[in-house]
Amino acid sequence: MVATAATSSFFPITSSPDSIDSKNKKLGNGSTNLGGIKLKPSASSGSLQVKANAQAPPKINGTTVVMTPVEGFPSEDAASSLPPRTFINQLPDWSMLLAAMTTIFLAAEKQWMMLDWKPKRPDMLIDPFGIGRIVQDGLVFRQNFSIRSYEIGADRTASIETLMNHLQETAINHCKSAGLLGDGFGATPGMCRKNLIWVVTRMQVVVDRYPTWGDVVQVDTWVSASGKNGMRRDWLVSNSKTGEILTRASSVWVMMNKLTRRLSKIPEEVRGEIEPHFMNSDPVVAEDNRKLVKLDDSTAQYVRKGLTPRWSDLDVNQHVNNVKYVGWILESTPLGIVESHELCSMTLEYRRECGRDSVLQSLTAVSGVGNLGNMGEIECQHLLQLEEGSEIVRGRTQWRPKNAKSFGKMDQVPAQSA
Amino acid sequence: MLKFSYCNATDLNQALVQCRFAGSFGPLSSRRRSPRAAVSCSRSNLTPIQAVLSCQQQVGSDPVESELGSLADRLRLGGLTEDGLSYKEKFIIRCYEVGINKTATIETIANLLQEVGGNHAQSVGFSRDGFATSPTMRKLHLIWVTARMHIEVYKYPAWSDVIEIETWCQNEGRIGTRRDWILKDVATGEVIGRATSKWVMMNEDTRRLQKVSDDVKEEYLVFCPREPRLAFPEENNKSLKKISKLEDPVQYSRLGLMPRRADLDMNQHVNNVTYIGWVLESMPEEIIDTHELQTITLDYRRECQRDDVVDSLTGPELVEGSKIHGTNGSATAITREDDLDCHQFLHLLRLSSDGQEINRGRTEWRKKPT
Repeated sequence: MVATAATSSFFPITSSPDSIDSKNKKLGNGSTNLGGIKLKPSASSGSLQVKANAQAPPKINGTTVVMTPVEGFPSEDAASSLPPRTFINQLPDWSMLLAAMTTIFLAAEKQWMMLDWKPKRPDMLIDPFGIGRIVQDGLVFRQNFSIRSYEIGADRTASIETLMNHLQETAINHCKSAGLLGDGFGATPGMCRKNLIWVVTRMQVVVDRYPTWGDVVQVDTWVSASGKNGMRRDWLVSNSKTGEILTRASSVWVMMNKLTRRLSKIPEEVRGEIEPHFMNSDPVVAEDNRKLVKLDDSTAQYVRKGLTPRWSDLDVNQHVNNVKYVGWILESTPLGIVESHELCSMTLEYRRECGRDSVLQSLTAVSGVGNLGNMGEIECQHLLQLEEGSEIVRGRTQWRPKNAKSFGKMDQVPAQSA
Repeated sequence: MLKFSYCNATDLNQALVQCRFAGSFGPLSSRRRSPRAAVSCSRSNLTPIQAVLSCQQQVGSDPVESELGSLADRLRLGGLTEDGLSYKEKFIIRCYEVGINKTATIETIANLLQEVGGNHAQSVGFSRDGFATSPTMRKLHLIWVTARMHIEVYKYPAWSDVIEIETWCQNEGRIGTRRDWILKDVATGEVIGRATSKWVMMNEDTRRLQKVSDDVKEEYLVFCPREPRLAFPEENNKSLKKISKLEDPVQYSRLGLMPRRADLDMNQHVNNVTYIGWVLESMPEEIIDTHELQTITLDYRRECQRDDVVDSLTGPELVEGSKIHGTNGSATAITREDDLDCHQFLHLLRLSSDGQEINRGRTEWRKKPT
């Protein structure tokens, strides 16, 4: 398969033990990495050194192109000097830093394009298929997605389910290209031997702007430790062309024995497999620690019953795909909110899986209007449960009026009635 | 979902902005040509096909300047073929598009067929509503609606496989047009599926069918092959087969299916791919577990909206002169003499409330490859 050939070319970066072990765990060294440009004020003589070619693959017409293995893209990095670990810092002036770096990056890209542009027919480009690649010291996985016409909703923007599907795809592809895929689900070979699987317990998504049909989004994902026995996976979704951050997401995973269904500590041999891949950055989304309440028939204002999985909702294990829960949660969100507002933030706690024969109900309560000083924002609480009572997912969503932009440019909207 | 949505005039402009030719360059254009100019390109003194080809060639020969073209076009990996008469695009199968068989679901395939159909229409300057509403059609409030969809899959692609889909359209009778597709596995070059669909023209206000007038025909036929080109050229092929209506009592059913928010297009109609999922809902589990869908044919009769509740009914297709093949004491399907592992079923989707037919279908199933 074309895809396998391309991903196998990435192994030279990640599986080289020397480059991984010699990385220093330097926290907060001030360097920030975006789009493959590394600013290393400490490494050079105090000036910003932009290494456009080390990390960023050549771009054609703004498109990120992965050169075929013949042209030796991955091996350049393995052979060059080992760069120190860098971290994504959540600086207070993130947006300013982002703008500066985007400008530098685009300038470097233009220069690079002039130097090394080769006419390529579209069918020779590999990464635009969306296979993705490891970037940045072998710890971050990056993949591009073009938004297809069937992935957008009624307002012509990508649905939240589409965004979460992309997150899921990059997570699996990251595991695959980092050699961590023992089975189809990110379980390492060591985990498979011990019947252990990763189970997601918590997910937070913040959407600053939804991509529209025809946009190309770039999804970066990496993993870090979460406590002693958990793992956190973060995602950063940006507009591939402009670099604007569209979505940030963070998820927490725990290890479970798939036979006993009991939570498990991370065994030493598995720790050895996965720790080299941990980035150990700060979470890309500030953790929302507020307790998620459990709704019931008396506290929920909206209930939608009789939800049943279709064949296409099931994954290869015949469990309902996690992303489908989001669609069901939204089924009971009042249409008035969905039509006039867009989902800007979501926190989910996963409790239990469900399968083909489950019958579910979705409950929603509107818990706040005009929160956080933002006029027109609405907050909802959600519960997705089996009709016989077991909880599947608890959630909280925040909604902002459509056409209200992020980064402080809120339009004046009339007060919305809940 | 942006599927079979009936766009208004502003959408045409938006679609044309994204048109491949919008950023093109060459003797007929300047750098940032207006979207409208893309369509007028085909109305210059060149014949429409020659104009299309010359624009296309300009795109190919002046690549540095094509930075101004939309990024999505660059990455879309699709384009008109050299003769301008069909459109090809590559897709990679994503992990969430794969079902219980570890292969792409039929819904994924149907979504990709629609995606490439829409991209074809957009690349020739028509709006993205599933086929192509040409400028004249939009003036007259005419839209295409699907009458029949027929898909055959010989080998389902797996996660991260890359497939290439070629599509083209043609005239069909006085009120119809057809769109055909061929699906190929890029790695092996083999044909993994074929599909054809028949569309009729309807007035979107009166919802009545209408004949394809000559000026509309002219507008889109320039982009269609002159000689008939069929995805199913063989005689008496299954895409032409009449589908009988399933009569009560039916053997299998799944009642009370409701559209989800994600199933609705911009006009609050259920999109075509959702019907495929509903048809399969009433398939017996023993077939789903052991067989994979080889062929599906759907005749669309009536649209479905957000608050409709639908019943899905399935029964074996009875073929004259064949034996009844018993399994576990109950007749599940008629096996064809020459293919003991193939099962054929008839389907019906109807409104729960009054039994009105929404669509009827026919499926063939083959044993899963080991």
